[in-house]
Amino acid sequence: MPRTAGHFTIRPRMKFSLAVYSAPHSAQAAASALRFARALLHEGHELYRVFFYCDGVHIGSSLSTPPQDELDLLAGWQALQQQHQLDLVVCIAAAQRRGVLSDSEANRLEKPAANLAPGFELAGLGQLADAVAQSDRLITFGG
Amino acid sequence: MTKRLLALCRQAPYGNALAREGLEAILAAAAMEQVADILFCGDGVFQLLPEQLPADIEQKSLQRNLQALPVFGVEQAFICSKSLAQRGLDIDTLVQGELVLVPVDDSAALIASYDSVLSF
Repeated sequence: MPRTAGHFTIRPRMKFSLAVYSAPHSAQAAASALRFARALLHEGHELYRVFFYCDGVHIGSSLSTPPQDELDLLAGWQALQQQHQLDLVVCIAAAQRRGVLSDSEANRLEKPAANLAPGFELAGLGQLADAVAQSDRLITFGG
Repeated sequence: MTKRLLALCRQAPYGNALAREGLEAILAAAAMEQVADILFCGDGVFQLLPEQLPADIEQKSLQRNLQALPVFGVEQAFICSKSLAQRGLDIDTLVQGELVLVPVDDSAALIASYDSVLSF
């Protein structure tokens, strides 16, 4: 059954992409994105891509270490990625500015360490444009 | 079928990286032949103020990004009239350049008419 909220209609089996702009553990939007991803997959929809942009690139840092009794966003995304083979893309330009680097980027830029977490990949803004073109719905979190 | 895409620019030009990174994303989409229409609303209307001197606060100007829009096929930009009025701005005092500014009274109806919205 299609459901509507205002002019936003959700039909069965839609293809979603998410754009995440919020830093982890700063704004609720970063946690909402993960919860939304879980919910839509649980309902049988497809998640084409999650694009991490602006401060959202920090979600892809392998170094985040929240206290044990708090939500671990990184572990949450990684578990979901493994379970559903999700395409978790961190914007390479936004990530370079903020210090989220893959091994190859750290080598290329002669930086002392790399911190892009397993399950995430760096790619350009074209992946956001592609996600818009390929998906029935783009949902933005943060900003 | 090509989707109709709207990009919202809602941030003041130098207070939040989303202003610059939003324009970069719009240009990247346009370079991939996904040309978005643009709506400046909220504090985003401040991006079009003339005579910005961001070098004084060690920031790069957004003007180059804005001027690049027509080169990539974005020839007009919608401006939320209410946002202008709330901030005491007049559309005629904004930077026009090659970009044609089109005032919009009902932003909600405009946004609802698109297939996808990129919000920055």
